[in-house]
Amino acid sequence: MKLRFFTLLSMLFLAATGAGAQTAEADAILGVWETGSGKARVKIDKVGEKYVGKIVWLREPNNEEGKPKVDKNNPDEKMRTTPLLGYRMLKDFNYSGEKTWEDGTIYDPENGSTYSCEITMTDENTLDVRGFIGVSVFGRTDVWKRVQVKKKA
Amino acid sequence: MRSFILVVGMLAGLAAYAQETDTTEVEDYSQYADAELAGDAKRFATQKVLDQSPNKLISIGYDYQSSYFMDLAYFGPPDVQGLIASPERVTNSFNSGLRLGANVPVISRNNIIVNLGGNYWETRYDIENPENVTNPLALSLDRYGLRTMGLSTTIFKPFNEKQVLFVLAQADLNGNYSLADIQSLKYTRYSVFAIYGWKMHDRLMYGFGLARTYRAGEQIILPLFMYNYTFPSRKWGVESIFPARAHLRRTFNPRSMAFFGYELEGQTYHIANRGNEFDQWLPNNADDLELRRGELRIRLMYERSIKDFIWVSVQAGLRYNWRFNLDQGDFYRGFTGDQPYLAENKIGNPLYINFSINLVSP
Repeated sequence: MKLRFFTLLSMLFLAATGAGAQTAEADAILGVWETGSGKARVKIDKVGEKYVGKIVWLREPNNEEGKPKVDKNNPDEKMRTTPLLGYRMLKDFNYSGEKTWEDGTIYDPENGSTYSCEITMTDENTLDVRGFIGVSVFGRTDVWKRVQVKKKA
Repeated sequence: MRSFILVVGMLAGLAAYAQETDTTEVEDYSQYADAELAGDAKRFATQKVLDQSPNKLISIGYDYQSSYFMDLAYFGPPDVQGLIASPERVTNSFNSGLRLGANVPVISRNNIIVNLGGNYWETRYDIENPENVTNPLALSLDRYGLRTMGLSTTIFKPFNEKQVLFVLAQADLNGNYSLADIQSLKYTRYSVFAIYGWKMHDRLMYGFGLARTYRAGEQIILPLFMYNYTFPSRKWGVESIFPARAHLRRTFNPRSMAFFGYELEGQTYHIANRGNEFDQWLPNNADDLELRRGELRIRLMYERSIKDFIWVSVQAGLRYNWRFNLDQGDFYRGFTGDQPYLAENKIGNPLYINFSINLVSP
């Protein structure tokens, strides 16, 4: 009886630590990242079980009239007054193991297009963000770098 | 139980709403301005300026030229009095043909992009009353037309945020061959260009380079000047690799744009004596003919997205003849070479239209 109880406890412990390790690996993507062009920074958060990312910094935050940029290229007219700062451009990512997040989409505010997207973490500070059309071969990879936000004094 | 389902339903609804519009969170975004890249990260220039027309991954097009005359020089043997006959005037009712292309990125990273491409273009001729025509070039064009099949690779290499390099290498098989009997690979023609450029800011990129090309119809080495610029209003722009092409762009929005400008097109085509058309005019050496075709297309173009990444492109303009001469063999004449052509032809300058459907790149 004691042996059976010990086995059960061990299994529960292993399952719990395994799941914890898996969660830690999946959450490694959380943080602030700069896009390849250096024009934007995106903060990746977890909402429920999904990973999402919103724009938190723009190199040129204002339009030619000096007003904050809005999503003027969105094909949906109702969205064209939405500020780009705070815009959720990454959606619906699931962690699929092996440092890869897939099934998500990425929105490009420069042309108003939404692409299928897969993210791979190549090292702790680098993401390969591949936007594609239908199949991965018709796509483009942008390499994002992690940024360290300096704490205000 | 019912209230539990209700609460779960409400939570799911709220989650879905948040998923779409996470734009109202009150957050101090200024905290993200003061930040630095982790590790030994480096930034690189991107290959395009703002609002530049999208790259075409796959293109299916059709090209049509209206009727024009052809004054085709005589290159047969002199008659008994040693005279050379005057040019023969024929009328070509129209040119038409498919234009297929693919250009797919095989490596696509911030510090290098490598594309592999392939293309197939055909030009069909329709010579009026061919039974009354004696010029063998006209007969050959009427019967077989011209084809181009090519493979290419394009490399974009940024060295940092400012300096970039573009390289294009292309191999083309041009001639009057059929798809069932493609001509020998020994007639493959190679073109290459390299441009070293500077991306000054998001709206301006320029560069200088050199090309070995057949665009003007025959082998030529010439300097290039790339200039891509978007005006601050972002309504207008320039896209050019001078002298190969130059366009003024009007951007209505990122999914709809118009262009006015020109492109120099052309190739050297191996003309095989497929049906013995040239036997009487060139009884001993009819196997090594090259048609040097170069043309300037002055045009208006309109491109727009019809659904997501499917774009339609329509162009119309004047096809201005640059060169339509016959040589024997492919050799380098350059700007100063004085080797005579086998036949120097003059042809008219018709209007043309071109229509294509394209899958464009992210």
